[in-house]
Amino acid sequence: MIRQIERYAAKLHADGSARPDRTTLLARDDRLLCWGAEELLPLGKAVIERLNVISLVVAEPQLPFLELLLRRTDPATAELIPLDTETRTFLHDIPLVRKGEFSASDPQRLVELLGQRKGVLVEGVGIMATGSVTVEQAYINYSSVYHAIFVKTLYDLLKAPSPTREELALLRPLWEQLRLQPIEALTDDLQRGGLAGKAQVLSAMQQVGERTVALKLVDSFFGNISCRCGDQLYISQTGASLESLAGCIDQVPNDNSSTAGITASSELIAHRAIFRQTGAATILHGHPKFSVILSLLCEETACRIADCWKNCAKIRYLKDVPVVAGEIGAGGIAKNVPPVIGQEGVAVVYGHGVFAIGEEDFHQPLLAMVNLENWCREEYLRRLQSCCPQM
Amino acid sequence: MTGWHGRLLNVDLTSGRIWPEALPAELLQTYLGGRGLGVRLLRDYYQLDPFAAELPLIFAAGPLCGTAAPTAARLSVVSRSPLTGTIYDCSAGGRFAWRLKAAGYDALKIVGRSSSPVVLRVRPDGGKLLPAEKLWGEPIGTTVKALADHGSVAAIGPAGENRVLYANIMMGEGNSVGRGGLGAVMGGKNLKALTVSGEQKVAIVDRQRFDEARQDIIRLFKASPVIFGDLGIAEYGTPALVDLMAQRRMAPTENFRKTIFSAADHYSGPAIRKAYQPKNHGCYGCPIQCKKSMQDGTPLPEYETVNHFGALNGIDDLRSIVNSNNLCNQLGMDTISAAASISAWGEVNGRFPRAEEIGALLQAIARREGEGELLAQGAARLTRQLGRPELSMSVKGLELPAYDPRGAYGMALAYCTSNRGGCHLRAYPISHEILRKPVPTDRFDFAGKARMIKIAEDCNATIDSLVACKFSFFGASLEEYAELLAATTGVEYSPQSLKEIGERIYLTERYYNQQLGFSAEHDMLPERFFSEPGSSGDGIEVPPIERARFVEEREKYYRIRGLNERGEFNENYLERQP
Repeated sequence: MIRQIERYAAKLHADGSARPDRTTLLARDDRLLCWGAEELLPLGKAVIERLNVISLVVAEPQLPFLELLLRRTDPATAELIPLDTETRTFLHDIPLVRKGEFSASDPQRLVELLGQRKGVLVEGVGIMATGSVTVEQAYINYSSVYHAIFVKTLYDLLKAPSPTREELALLRPLWEQLRLQPIEALTDDLQRGGLAGKAQVLSAMQQVGERTVALKLVDSFFGNISCRCGDQLYISQTGASLESLAGCIDQVPNDNSSTAGITASSELIAHRAIFRQTGAATILHGHPKFSVILSLLCEETACRIADCWKNCAKIRYLKDVPVVAGEIGAGGIAKNVPPVIGQEGVAVVYGHGVFAIGEEDFHQPLLAMVNLENWCREEYLRRLQSCCPQM
Repeated sequence: MTGWHGRLLNVDLTSGRIWPEALPAELLQTYLGGRGLGVRLLRDYYQLDPFAAELPLIFAAGPLCGTAAPTAARLSVVSRSPLTGTIYDCSAGGRFAWRLKAAGYDALKIVGRSSSPVVLRVRPDGGKLLPAEKLWGEPIGTTVKALADHGSVAAIGPAGENRVLYANIMMGEGNSVGRGGLGAVMGGKNLKALTVSGEQKVAIVDRQRFDEARQDIIRLFKASPVIFGDLGIAEYGTPALVDLMAQRRMAPTENFRKTIFSAADHYSGPAIRKAYQPKNHGCYGCPIQCKKSMQDGTPLPEYETVNHFGALNGIDDLRSIVNSNNLCNQLGMDTISAAASISAWGEVNGRFPRAEEIGALLQAIARREGEGELLAQGAARLTRQLGRPELSMSVKGLELPAYDPRGAYGMALAYCTSNRGGCHLRAYPISHEILRKPVPTDRFDFAGKARMIKIAEDCNATIDSLVACKFSFFGASLEEYAELLAATTGVEYSPQSLKEIGERIYLTERYYNQQLGFSAEHDMLPERFFSEPGSSGDGIEVPPIERARFVEEREKYYRIRGLNERGEFNENYLERQP
């Protein structure tokens, strides 16, 4: 179990979602195992010992998204409603806990809320997230909450009231990164040409999976990848981490003569529909953050649609890339994405992520995703500067 | 009080007296319903012999039954198992539970023994015993048809009448109260069937909150490949697992001598679809509709059934398997235990029965005729009587289902810590070890499994008390069901508080079992799994389970549960419980 703890601590630091000096992981076997920042341990111990869970992550995001969010949130607000659909689907709302509501000696409020939800936002601490089965689950829940506050904080900055100079300064390293460090299109070394045979397909999928995570186009255990090869489809399994797909790819016959692929990604239905309608050979699905944020922006003023993320029937565009609504799995993506993705070879699902297709290999979809995300990063900065000239 | 009616109907079959009784709100809020309520109501009776007339047979619905809560139109039947000797419960769907709530009762508590066969008819104005001599001996289909005008039916078949130790109570829609032989308990009371009818609605305190939670659950179902995926159970039913278990090399074959059967594709989900073009059906109001039936409505077999009447007996004939399933349903008999008993008997005899022999054997078992007398006692007793007890693939006398423990170590531990014997559903680690929900775990590693099993047992005790279907939890979690429960009852619950309730239920059962003589030596797998490998291949090694590591994890489990090294309580657990 201690190996699991060390593995996910390393992942939290590698993906940039947690400060290495402010990260604690705790796990319960027949005894309590602790790892990480000493100053967070008393609180972590006090909480996990009162909960019927296996694991707990307590960590502070590397950038002060939570501080910024709290500044711009009504003090009476008790929870954050995620704007991104993945977090909204799996975590619903995320409780907010203020400084005066808890201490290591009196963690009752945190225990109560973590007894109800998988993750909470804690002023002065960061994010606390639990896992009831594995350490990995606490890591996934932490990542979901982190993704949610990243998306919501940056989306809110584009809305009134415009952020102050001081607020903008809190995220200066991010603005510099957006200005100076576009995502590199590291695709040249990916396998090229038609992928023939199981071994080649699996190898190509593992390669592009690792690269998609390395380029931060997807976090945690989200996203999925598939490749059509003859009368078979190869697709990443549900809950698989794209950076370690070895042993986590299902082979699904097109004629459904086997159901062994019951463990395939929840987006199998969407992938199949895309293959059917476009003739593509490969599909890459990630959650690049700025594409997600910009997909939420809508210029409509007199629209009466509620729950746009699932109910909006319109096609909007990011540059030339179509944006459509649709719920996960059997809930709408499979209906809305296939008709539009062929236009540019890439499509965005409102508040969710990006699907990109390739005619032969994964070079084309990865490049399309990188290009779209870089465009969205530039566009985000442009929009922010237009409402904050002092930036 | 909403969600619950606060009313129990007592039935004494010996005297014929039937009377309602108020159930205190505190008791219902603390034990919820279903399994939890039934287990609590057995506190003064659990030491009685399974066939003692005074032993109650309890039918208990849950607080969500009668609402639009997904998969909650279920009940649990609770008593003591004649097969295992443990406290026993089994949950079942269909329409019966929903009708019971509509009749205005949360539960039925049936004691005594009628001097002649009877049917219990329950309506909002109370219950009535009707003569049933003409139905005695009839199969389930005939019985259900004869009683259809009275409402929803739960009945026993010839197996229950003849006290086959794994006789089922069958719901009129084909769902079963299976495994532990509660049909035999019902037969011992001379109770052929129950009917329930009514129109009473279940009120909901906060409709908007309820609807939002329900929508969240449906969204999670849609996001679950196991439920609504192209290859999931809504499409293929549970036989969708046949191909997966073959691929993982953990499909019990020839009484668990092997873990792969080369002809499993003869009865896989796609094979059944091709052969029968099944219709979807399911429990009342359930959006998943995982049950599959022939065009004439005859239920098609579940995963456990196809494997055990297939691979476990070396049979590759789908028609024979479907016929075996239908026969068990009509005779009122558990398919897993029936097939496993036949398989164990086959290994003792040195020959597994041929497909064409199975039908006659099932008939003989239900009527306790010829070889059926021995087979009706289950694998543990029959192998003991034949001098080969090591060939019973069971834990606490309950025959193991269709997940070989050598292929999933959490499952290995959970079979043993289950309070009702070798059951996959108490902790259901297949969910994460094989189906990757809510997250995947390493199936060949014991690390962390003790606490995972403990938490899952607590969760599932809650789920069985709500009463909801465990398949819901391939998508949703207690988080959403706590919302539904709070919205329905107006009493605030959280996943944490529900798990505490589940823990209380689990430990109560464990305490009962301890008083009945169960201890660490009963929390043990058959020797075969520690000494013989499974069928390795395709890059998957299936070695025997390392006994020392198993015992180490079991000891961890005891510590986590607060039990001593013998898996026992150091004090009277019930003294502190409401």
